[in-house]
Amino acid sequence: MLRVENLDVAYGHLQILRQVNMNINNGEIVAILGANGAGKTTLLKSVMGLLPPKAGKVFYRGEDVTGRAPFELSRLGIAFVPEERNIFQAMTVEDNLLLGAYFVKDKAKIRSNLKEVYEMFPRLEERRKQLAGTMSGGERQMLAIGRGLMSKPHLIILDEPSMGLSPTNVLIVFQTIKTLTSQEVTIVIVEQNVDATLNVASRAYVMEHGAVVMEGSSQELSQNDYVKKMYLGQS
Amino acid sequence: MEVLGQVWDFFATSMMRGGMYSLMAVGLALVFGVMNIANFAHGEFYMLGAFFGYFILSATSKLGLPAFLPPIICIAGAGLCVALVAGIIERTSFRALRKRSKGQWLMNTFLLTLGISIILQNGSRIVWGGRYRGVTRMWKGDFLNSLLDYSLPPDRLIAFLIAVLSIGGFVLFLNKTTTGRAIRAVSQDEVGASLVGINLGFIHTLVFSLSGLLAGIAGASLLSVTPASSFMGTMPLYKSWFVLILVGMGSIGGSIVGGLILGFLETFATTYLSVYLGSGSSEFVCLAVIITILLIKPNGIFGKSVKSAVE
Repeated sequence: MLRVENLDVAYGHLQILRQVNMNINNGEIVAILGANGAGKTTLLKSVMGLLPPKAGKVFYRGEDVTGRAPFELSRLGIAFVPEERNIFQAMTVEDNLLLGAYFVKDKAKIRSNLKEVYEMFPRLEERRKQLAGTMSGGERQMLAIGRGLMSKPHLIILDEPSMGLSPTNVLIVFQTIKTLTSQEVTIVIVEQNVDATLNVASRAYVMEHGAVVMEGSSQELSQNDYVKKMYLGQS
Repeated sequence: MEVLGQVWDFFATSMMRGGMYSLMAVGLALVFGVMNIANFAHGEFYMLGAFFGYFILSATSKLGLPAFLPPIICIAGAGLCVALVAGIIERTSFRALRKRSKGQWLMNTFLLTLGISIILQNGSRIVWGGRYRGVTRMWKGDFLNSLLDYSLPPDRLIAFLIAVLSIGGFVLFLNKTTTGRAIRAVSQDEVGASLVGINLGFIHTLVFSLSGLLAGIAGASLLSVTPASSFMGTMPLYKSWFVLILVGMGSIGGSIVGGLILGFLETFATTYLSVYLGSGSSEFVCLAVIITILLIKPNGIFGKSVKSAVE
């Protein structure tokens, strides 16, 4: 589905990613774990075309998509839900969602996708006429995920979906991710909430200082002594 | 009937000016709101609209079409030609700059628009010479003749009507179509817009062309009031900046109201105050009002903290 080969990314002379390799198969939920500044968000941004890589390649469904613009990748079926949410604040919730299906031409399909998103997040339906900028952090996150789902993506990339949310909302977000698994969509999730993430993910990569230092199934990683000590707070 | 005639005259002039300022200011606000460019070449779009309109009108009026047709072709054609020019300018200058660097964007684009303005002014001077090209009237027939026993040339009222129709159509386009929604999305969050599959480059060119279209329409519809000449764009440019400062940067709804306010203020000043204040009274009054508003509400009348081009 998504393959990252020897990716190097730098901001000016400051190199952030070094030789990152990753392979995500169809239908998987893969987590990318790591501390602040490990380069997780940078990796996602350069996969999504928001940051041009210095070297290396990104393949999506076997096609080389390195350096493509974000809008092209979005049209190929990748939905990226960024850490900053990037919702349209002065627009209503419904307009935000409809824009999520911007390149879907079939009106009936847009309507049915909208219905599905509303079923998944009833809160959004309650607030459909409200301006997105006036909503709480949790609702914004729901909206950002909902907007990503409106185009029925094949691959959805979530950057820190639980960041800044109250414990209740964190729970809602992880439940949503679980329900997504039944929908034949591949999910890449970047999180600092390692415990909860390993519960929903099948596989995970651990990043440190801009490189992948470990990879394995969630089971293996949650048993691993190093991961336990560094990320799960168990000794 | 003398007094009534004066009142009508006052209203017709105010509405015409106001409508045209709105038309200009809306384009300026759109470009500022979506592309974050302070366009100081906007007046040159107005000038080009007037020139294109003049040439199209003089060509079509020889064809023996029904009397109402040449002005319509002239205004629509001028708008489209200017839109094309604006699109080409966006592709060749702003897009190139955006690719190279986004640092100091507002300042660099401001300088770029100044340069474009100078090139267009002097380029048109070289091509079309220093002669004024105008028409005495565009629309034939007298309006409200029998109704009020007072003859009013229809040009001004029709110019206002054109402004209303163009702005109305434009607002509908922004609010009711997918592309319009995409333009609003880009004005609010560029990254978010690109993530949902909106081609930013396309939207930027479209927005710049649209602002050119509106300015071109304004320039062509006022051909009988202000004849085409190379340096005619300065006044409408300043006036549309007045409007934007008055209502708050980047608000399209506000620009429409602001344009009308400015039209009334100016006409009031020229009609009733120039006796006391001299011929510069309209500029004096407008600037005085703007300074007062900036003192009380620095963000403009409708200024808000949320960045959005359309309300």
